[in-house]
Amino acid sequence: MIDARNLRKTFGSFCALNDVSLHVAEGELVALLGPSGSGKTTLLRILAGLEFPDSGQVLFDGGDATRLSARDRRVGFVFQHYALFRHMTVFDNVAFGLKVRARASRPSRQEITDRVHHLLRMVQLDGLAGRFPAQLSGGQRQRVALARALAIQPRVLLLDEPFGALDAQVRKELRRWLRRLHDDLKITGVFVTHDQEEALEVADRVVVMNQGRVEQIGSPTEIYDQPATPFVYQFLGNVNALACQIRNGQARLGALVLPAPAYAGVTSAEGVAFVRPHDIHLARPGDGDGALALVRHVSILGSIVRIELLLQGQTIEAELMRQRYAELDLQPGQQVLVWPRSARFFLREGWEGTSFQTRAEASWDSAML
Amino acid sequence: MRSSPSAPNALNEPLWVRLLLIGLAVVVLTLFLLLPLLTVFHEALSKGIDAYMEALVDQDALAAIRLTGLVAAIAVPLNVVFGLAAAWCIAKFDFPGKSLLTTLVDIPFSVSPVISGLLYVLLFGLQGWFGPWLKAHDIQLIFAVPGIVMATVFITVPFVARELIPLMEAQGTEEEEAAVVLGAGGWRIFASVTLPNVKWGVLYGVLLCNARAMGEFGAVSVVSGHIRGMTNTMPLHVEILYNEYNYMAAFAVASLLAMLALVTLAAKTALEWRFSRELTGLAAHRSSP
Repeated sequence: MIDARNLRKTFGSFCALNDVSLHVAEGELVALLGPSGSGKTTLLRILAGLEFPDSGQVLFDGGDATRLSARDRRVGFVFQHYALFRHMTVFDNVAFGLKVRARASRPSRQEITDRVHHLLRMVQLDGLAGRFPAQLSGGQRQRVALARALAIQPRVLLLDEPFGALDAQVRKELRRWLRRLHDDLKITGVFVTHDQEEALEVADRVVVMNQGRVEQIGSPTEIYDQPATPFVYQFLGNVNALACQIRNGQARLGALVLPAPAYAGVTSAEGVAFVRPHDIHLARPGDGDGALALVRHVSILGSIVRIELLLQGQTIEAELMRQRYAELDLQPGQQVLVWPRSARFFLREGWEGTSFQTRAEASWDSAML
Repeated sequence: MRSSPSAPNALNEPLWVRLLLIGLAVVVLTLFLLLPLLTVFHEALSKGIDAYMEALVDQDALAAIRLTGLVAAIAVPLNVVFGLAAAWCIAKFDFPGKSLLTTLVDIPFSVSPVISGLLYVLLFGLQGWFGPWLKAHDIQLIFAVPGIVMATVFITVPFVARELIPLMEAQGTEEEEAAVVLGAGGWRIFASVTLPNVKWGVLYGVLLCNARAMGEFGAVSVVSGHIRGMTNTMPLHVEILYNEYNYMAAFAVASLLAMLALVTLAAKTALEWRFSRELTGLAAHRSSP
């Protein structure tokens, strides 16, 4: 169990963490998700004892560990670039944490050998105990790093962008494998990632961070379906941000009038509507409600089709299944009827610092979520 | 870059240009490096092998060889300790005055050895700043063995440190962090993570440092006082013999220094070969396949 309370950390004039609190329950796997510079790695390193906060507290199992050195914390840490000891064999790498213990608590030579081989079997590398790190592939190195971290039977396992340096295919395999391993071992874990798909797939809970603050903490479903802030909306998955007028519980986007009951008391304000591309319903003109938009571009991405539309001067993206696309028979230059199945509204006021991009900058595979 | 006449290479010059440049390089190397080296051995052996051996077992020559060995035996270990400590500080930590320390390490390379020898005389000589105090306590540094050791240590300061700083900087601190998280203490981390990672670099530095410590002339010449059999190192002894027109003996002692240079070169090449594999290993270690 980890408790981080009101952590602050600055590097020179850069504020890496600004009053961050986090609770990780026993046996839980939590993802710290955010863009680079959001403070997620700093938070992880503070939990490991590799950095110390300017103020705030870190508790492990209820005991204060804020000033405890990394050496005495008994945490497993997996580095993005593995940080394997390059002059030691795989076996010696994994055995290191056991061999450096004080004589009184050090297991016997036979016990160390047994435990290392058990761990190597668990990470499916038993035949490679005599190899050096340079003779292994990236995925194999990362598994050695994991076995080495687990060898000291850590109270918590911390992983810094564990799959960041691997290619896409290996990354996918390894993260499923990590999830299974976590389910088997029931170890408390925190991992850092900038990849939404990774966070949503592997973690029990996701902490979205931005500019040294926590934007939202929740289950993957909550984070994706009910983003708490515009930032979370834009960072997780592809989204359209459309300027709108909010009046008495209604949002107006040109001809479109949508219910916004949360703002029933607002008489008139500038707002932004967030609509996921797959929540945009398209129909032929005259076939129901909606606003007319112009089809600009059509890209076929495997099972789905992405359509770029021009709606009242704003570019938006819609995604639909291949079959629906075939029914509509859309061509660039045609008019199409647009209706958001679901949308979420934020008043511009109060989010001044946030940039509302009309086109989400999410990565390509996030569209596949 | 491999190329053969049948496979033209975009970067190749015409044949005559290549031959001219290669010939020029061969001539220059022969004239300025190979020929002098051969002359040393030729002159040394000009009166036969017996005379050569006799010149080497001469009392003063033996004393010079012993002193040179002693100086190197003190200067090189000191240098390794200082070099490792300085490189460790500079490469693995951030602290105020870091660039000043880096510059200080380089000073012996940029100052003429004679100047550094003179500075020692000015500081520790009889008329120097600490002269009266040293005299009062009956300590003689200048024109004695301690002065020669000090001058040699000063001259060789950069060798190990300069070798290790770039290597340690390239390796970063992640392995040390991994070791501390696994529960290792500071000394343990240094002995089983940091040091093994730079061991070839240290050896390389030791080799260069040793060659310089044994061959140093300028600084040692100023502080030595040239007392035969007492404060003469091999290079100084060679000079004295030469000035006495005892060419054969001078070249005999010089041939020892030349052999030292050849052994150093061979060992250096072997180490570089090993070292480059380590550096390649480092690159392979950092990038994913």
